[in-house]
Amino acid sequence: MTTLTIGLFILAGLIATVRLLIGPGLAERIIALDVTLISFMGAIAAHAAHTDSTTYLILLVVLAIIGFTATVAAARFLQHERNAPTPAVSLSHNRGAL
Amino acid sequence: MNLLAGLIMALGGILAVLAAAGLHRFSTPYARFHAAGKASPVAFLVTAVGASISLGFAGAALLVIASAAMILTLPVGVHLMFRAVHRTTPPSLVIDELAPAEQAAQGHQR
Repeated sequence: MTTLTIGLFILAGLIATVRLLIGPGLAERIIALDVTLISFMGAIAAHAAHTDSTTYLILLVVLAIIGFTATVAAARFLQHERNAPTPAVSLSHNRGAL
Repeated sequence: MNLLAGLIMALGGILAVLAAAGLHRFSTPYARFHAAGKASPVAFLVTAVGASISLGFAGAALLVIASAAMILTLPVGVHLMFRAVHRTTPPSLVIDELAPAEQAAQGHQR
């Protein structure tokens, strides 16, 4: 049952990665990366239950805080686009560009 | 007891798949953030409950700390992304309550 759970979380991470690759706009890519991170955090929790060891659970605490820091930094970076007079690269409208 | 923990963790996995599918199902950035920011922490919480049943108190303590950190921080990050999208793209909303509030805040700063 835990193997099924790990497979479901990896599937969720892959579906969110597709949105990360094709999604229009920088903001949707950041949120898709966040969903991928949370999916792999759930996979780590299921793996800890599978192997019955608490070794990797401290990684979840670190990942939760680092994920929040990354999202806040990206949001602060994104909202400075409006104040720029003539931006060279429009970050929220780069449709199709990886 | 082990079967119960496995079932709860599998429910969390199904919720994570639904959260990732919500990123593709909805069309506007706000709706996508809504699906991603609400469903994915719930998926992790359900999985943490199942893993806590399976692991006992030593694992449950760490999972409670990780879940508390996620519940406290992730809605703040998603709301910051909402605000960044609202500031950078022209809003096409039926009701926009943030624009007059931000104009009032800017007038107060000047």
